[in-house]
Amino acid sequence: MIMKVLVVEDNADLARNIQEYLLHEGYVCEWSPTFEKSQEKLISFHYDCIVLDIMLPDGNGLDLLNFIKAEKIKSNVLIISAKNSLDDKIHGLDLGADDYLTKPFHLSELNARLKAIYRRNALEGDHTVSYNEIVLNTTSMEASVNDVLLDLTKKEFDLLLYFLINKNRILTRQSLAEHLWGDYTDNLSNFDFVYQHVKNLRKKISAANGKDYIGTVYGIGYKFDTNIT
Amino acid sequence: MKLINKLTLWYLAITTLVLLAGGVIVFYRVQAEIEKEVTQRLKRDLHQAAEMLGEGIPVSSIKTKQIDVKELAFDSPEIHLQTTDSMGMFSLPSRAVDRKFSVASSFKINGKHYYISAYNFIAEPDEILEGIIASLAVTLVILLSIVGITSRQISKRILSNFNRTLKTIQSFSLKQKHRMKLEETHTHEFKELNQFLEKMTNKALDDYRSLKEFSENASHELQTPLAIIRGKLELLLDTDINEKQALLIEGIHNAVQKLSSVNQSLILLTRLENQEYPVDQKINFSGVVEKVIESFKELIEMKSLMLTTKIDKEVYLSINPVLADMLFTNLLSNAIRHNTANGNISIMLTSSGLVVKNSGEAPKSPPHELFKRFKKDKQNAESTGLGLSIVKQICELSNFTVEYEYLDSKHCLSISFLPAK
Repeated sequence: MIMKVLVVEDNADLARNIQEYLLHEGYVCEWSPTFEKSQEKLISFHYDCIVLDIMLPDGNGLDLLNFIKAEKIKSNVLIISAKNSLDDKIHGLDLGADDYLTKPFHLSELNARLKAIYRRNALEGDHTVSYNEIVLNTTSMEASVNDVLLDLTKKEFDLLLYFLINKNRILTRQSLAEHLWGDYTDNLSNFDFVYQHVKNLRKKISAANGKDYIGTVYGIGYKFDTNIT
Repeated sequence: MKLINKLTLWYLAITTLVLLAGGVIVFYRVQAEIEKEVTQRLKRDLHQAAEMLGEGIPVSSIKTKQIDVKELAFDSPEIHLQTTDSMGMFSLPSRAVDRKFSVASSFKINGKHYYISAYNFIAEPDEILEGIIASLAVTLVILLSIVGITSRQISKRILSNFNRTLKTIQSFSLKQKHRMKLEETHTHEFKELNQFLEKMTNKALDDYRSLKEFSENASHELQTPLAIIRGKLELLLDTDINEKQALLIEGIHNAVQKLSSVNQSLILLTRLENQEYPVDQKINFSGVVEKVIESFKELIEMKSLMLTTKIDKEVYLSINPVLADMLFTNLLSNAIRHNTANGNISIMLTSSGLVVKNSGEAPKSPPHELFKRFKKDKQNAESTGLGLSIVKQICELSNFTVEYEYLDSKHCLSISFLPAK
């Protein structure tokens, strides 16, 4: 099933970044730069997910969220905002948004969030993410390789899920760190911790006779490579 | 000294001087009047006696207690009016002595030469003086009490506008959103003062606001291009690149990351200055501290730091919940970042304050400068140099005081929740 996404963002460059990344993931991704255009699109077409910027040239994204709820449009909403404002966040989530991301964000993080929302809401009952012998259950937080349950820490589970969702992408240590530690990333004096977690994860997968899909890339990050032999 | 007290004192000093001068004048005038009056009366007595002698009334019946008549030799020279001012016995039984004023003259009547003298007792100069002093003193006392009682009331009335203006300026802050409004007054000087103050504060508010808006807008405008750069770099990473290019991209990526976190801290500081975080209730700060420690636990373990805590339960503080979280997060992350290998952190929370201590190298710059923006002890690549500025700003907003010390090779940050003296 192909996820259909509408990106409501007035900045063309930013929208193109998102579009390009998501298209590469195999989503159908449309772009709307204004409040009015978004309303038209939302009435005419169905989208699984809406990436919504709060500040629009002709209106407030939160009003668009109200419109979505009032019109009973069954789309999930992920708010992206330049304002790192807790009020906006709480308000947005209160109005029924599914998640909130502060600009600037990693595209891989946006992808992970969108997939998570999609799993929660659209793919009812299906809480598994898998690739070949690796199967993750996002509800029970269990991971298995060749039907052997892995003993993963929460961080390792998160890491593996992140890799599976962003397959064949170079994930920088920075983006991995931010995904795992969020706001606390600034306190990591270096990314050795990322290295540690990835190393442990790879060890555990190999121990269960899984393929070593995760490889380092030029020393700047890692990649879950599905093309390895 | 209060303006009204100064005015009153000056007024009283001048009044006293005037009263003294008046007293001297009154004294001499009264003295002269008395003498003139007595002399006139006694002279009339002399002439009356002389008339009676001329009508042939015998000397014995003219003589009274106060009039004396003596016969002189006819050819002795006539004595013209002479006055004497002396002290004399007032009355025999009591032997009281008083000021005796006498007038004498000789008259040639019916071929005889009479010397007639008359006297009277009048008030002595010191008695007059006493009277004057007494009455002036009473006047002064009355004046004093009236001035004392009324001046305060009057000054309160006259200066009420001025005092209100003073109160308004004292509570004026550049950070307030509304303009300063002073009450209308009819006193010319106060009107001018108020107009000047309103003009000045409005100008200050406008300048401050435009400066703030500028930095706020600048930061926000920066955020979008930064996000675009980051996104493009990520996309670039997934194209067909070689290792050299990948490393270059990572370098750019890290710099952009740093720029964006500095920018976010600046936006936060601006928002703190704009007081966008209202304090509307007391929150359980102990809970906040415990929650933040919990979220940092893994990091502390990864860095093999020893954490000791002594946290009192139920420490309630008037602080915005978002700021409370931010405050302690900043403190703890500082303690983790500026630590040594296998170092330690101790956190102590009581109802009066919070102390965070951690092992670390001695700071090279003076402690008070660490609270300044972009002041970093080492040119630390991961630190924005804004953490302590944020801590300070939050403390100021919440009426806490924050201090830094370096003691026993430990960084010690203490925050007092009690209001500053």
